[in-house]
Amino acid sequence: MGLRNFFDRIEPHFEKGGKYERFFPLYEMVESFLYTPKTVTTAAPHVRSYIDMKRIMTYVVIATIPAILFGWYNTGWQANSAIALLGESAQTGWRVGLIQALGIGLNPDSIFACAFHGLLYFLPIYLTTLVVGGICEVIFATVRGHEVNEGFLVTSMLYTLIMPPSIPLWQVGLGIAFGVVIGKEVFGGTGKNFLNPALTGRAFLYFAYPAYMSGDSIWTPVDGFSGATALSVSATDGYQALQAAGITWSDAFFGFIQGCLGETSTLACLIGLAFLLATKIANWRLVIGCLAGMIGFSMLLNAVGSDSNPMFAMPWYWHLVVGGYAFGLAFMVTEPVSASHTNVGRYIYGALIGVMVVMIRVINPAFPEGMMLAILFGNVFAPLIDYFVIQANIKRRMRRHG
Amino acid sequence: MSQTRRELLVDPLVDNNPITLQVLGICSSLAVTSSLKVALVMAIAVTLVTAFSSMFISMLRNHIPSSIRIIVQMVIIASLVIVVDQLLKAYAFEISKTLSVFVGLIITNCIVMGRAEAFAMKNPPIDSFIDGIGNGLGYGFILMLVGIIRELFGSGSLFGVTLLQTVNNGGWYVPNGLLLLPPSAFFVIGLLIWAFRTWKPEQAEEREYKIQTVEAH
Amino acid sequence: MVDGSANTASPKGPLRRFLDLPTDSTAKTLFVAVTLCLFASMIVSIAAVALRPVQEENKLRDKRINILQVAGVYDPAVSVATAFEAFEPHVVDLRTGEFTDQFDAATFDDRAAADDPALSRALEDDPASISRQSFYKTVYLLRDANGAIDKVVLPVHGYGLWSTLWGFIALEENGNDIFGLQFYEQGETPGLGAEVDNPRWKALWNGKKLRDDNGDLQITVAKTQPAAGPEYYVDALAGATLTSRGVDNLVRFWMGSDGYEAFLNKIKAGEIK
Repeated sequence: MGLRNFFDRIEPHFEKGGKYERFFPLYEMVESFLYTPKTVTTAAPHVRSYIDMKRIMTYVVIATIPAILFGWYNTGWQANSAIALLGESAQTGWRVGLIQALGIGLNPDSIFACAFHGLLYFLPIYLTTLVVGGICEVIFATVRGHEVNEGFLVTSMLYTLIMPPSIPLWQVGLGIAFGVVIGKEVFGGTGKNFLNPALTGRAFLYFAYPAYMSGDSIWTPVDGFSGATALSVSATDGYQALQAAGITWSDAFFGFIQGCLGETSTLACLIGLAFLLATKIANWRLVIGCLAGMIGFSMLLNAVGSDSNPMFAMPWYWHLVVGGYAFGLAFMVTEPVSASHTNVGRYIYGALIGVMVVMIRVINPAFPEGMMLAILFGNVFAPLIDYFVIQANIKRRMRRHG
Repeated sequence: MSQTRRELLVDPLVDNNPITLQVLGICSSLAVTSSLKVALVMAIAVTLVTAFSSMFISMLRNHIPSSIRIIVQMVIIASLVIVVDQLLKAYAFEISKTLSVFVGLIITNCIVMGRAEAFAMKNPPIDSFIDGIGNGLGYGFILMLVGIIRELFGSGSLFGVTLLQTVNNGGWYVPNGLLLLPPSAFFVIGLLIWAFRTWKPEQAEEREYKIQTVEAH
Repeated sequence: MVDGSANTASPKGPLRRFLDLPTDSTAKTLFVAVTLCLFASMIVSIAAVALRPVQEENKLRDKRINILQVAGVYDPAVSVATAFEAFEPHVVDLRTGEFTDQFDAATFDDRAAADDPALSRALEDDPASISRQSFYKTVYLLRDANGAIDKVVLPVHGYGLWSTLWGFIALEENGNDIFGLQFYEQGETPGLGAEVDNPRWKALWNGKKLRDDNGDLQITVAKTQPAAGPEYYVDALAGATLTSRGVDNLVRFWMGSDGYEAFLNKIKAGEIK
């Protein structure tokens, strides 16, 4: 084990009193990424579990794989189809140049060509996220003397998957820096954040650069092509109009629609969710609560009805498959740190988000998508929900025993 | 006198700033800082109101019955605010349109009431006047800082003079729309407080709790 | 002063004696309260009364600048009052399209008239979401050197996304070609809907036409060019669907049969000179 020996040899330099004491977090990050940490607790209480934070984070990344793969394909497919429509010669840019130089082509029917084209959109965004967010993480870890946390791997992956493919990279960097610093580090780092950092970054961009985060021309990264997301079509003309726009329910379920990089496919998100539930990383109560809230409230609005607002009539199974609902449900509602921590609280927290999504989508005139705002709203309320659940429990026990 | 007059004037700028240390007067600093010109006018208005209300209250301090002292202070402050509001409407109409209701709300600005109650009721008029000027300047200083950040990055200009040509007008700069919305001032003020307290650690508050660490090795 | 009442030896005037009462005595409390109120109210009312004329002038000037701007004749070097003399305010009865002498055009307030049941009606079909519409609107005619109509400035308003947009639309002498559209009051989203104030977007309106040769209202704000042709179409604001729709609705409403249609027909026919 040459590598192990190497780590053992350089370790003293990074420990207290060593030459590179300030850079211990960097050393620790690399070392513990490769090996099991050597530190064990010596004082009570001991909690033994085979799931440590590293494993949780790794599992979440694994769970996003279907969404990532499908995201590559769909982004490329949307782009290639649009190019086929507009004519290949009209397209320039390094991506098209590279693809043609490699002889892969822009055929929308070829799965590989599509996935490769999508990858060329995914990778720059992902790398920017890793570099900029990583720098923020390391600066904070170095100054504060805590460890660089694997949580960032999850944050960066989720953040990338909720970016529109055409977003300028400097905005990606600005957003993740805001998300990591304001959403996480100012509250003390991983485990102490009450907001989801990826969503905080996304929300920052949403309000700072709305023209790049909503509208018609951003979802397919092809110049001169514009097409609304399924949600904005239904916001203007009702969900029935989706048929006319060529979007069937199964298209939306499998994910052949326009949207952010990784959120279009409900199926891929549900596969990830199933994996998280099976490994008990996601708590099923959150999922039940969020589904019940969404279904219940959308049915209520269906029953109420409205002459002027076509979104009132949108049935729950459409709410499920369009926009970011499935992605948020699978990877963000279930995030353990920012969700409620009590079991009763989890139902309430999930339901609150479910209701808010539908409320924002249907009743708010400005924002067609509601999942991001609903989850952030839920995050803010999670500690309060826990507080009341615990108080209620204390009161009940006092009545019983007092 | 524990403080010299110079200290009365300079202290509130950084060391005892009404916004960053005492966290007073936040509402108006959210509302009026999206453009620097408006922020400047607001800062001047608050400085004048604080200075003169402190002075008048201090002149009357030995005759103000304690049972109605808050009302007396309010009446003096409110009258001054109305006068300022009328003056703005007459001589700075454009700006008074943007400031609209926030000039009237100087009445409820905690800085003005705070200085009246905490300082002017116990100190002679000239000191109170200087203290009011100092606190107004401290408020204005933060207002200007926030205004610079918000106007420069939110609309690419300072005092209405374009520095960064924005995309919508044919330039290169993509303005940050969040900075034009009032909540962004929360972030900016929060970051300023963070910077101030890193620079002057004695401003940081005591922790309300201590994280217990257990030796683990 | 609390201890002031101790030295009662020297003779004092009534004011001095009052001030020397214990500060918390009922008499002094009342005295301080009443005096202060009188004093404060005097200062406030002096300020308000003395400055009123200047303020009124500012308001008027502000409105006139907007009218000058939308008609493209605003020049900061020329005094607003002088420049505005070229404009002729008239109150129009929207039902007949004729001028009325019922009101003084210089002082008539059509915003207030919309709340007066005698002068307005509640709208049933209300695309601009303004709920009540005044029958009488103040319009402004700009005359050229020969005294012929050069431009017509019409006040319009309607609901966007968050706020009611208030503005003026300026038409050429034929009552069909648009010269400009400008809003003087709006609260739309900064960076999106608030771009209705963007000079580049406002410039799009110049030269568009309201109606086609058959007299059908064709002007629209939309994302894609309608069948009627480019001269009836203003590109919607990027990312601001609902504000754009609001502008579309309000322009079509005010230019349509519930708005200035009757008046504009008279302009077209040359019945108004």
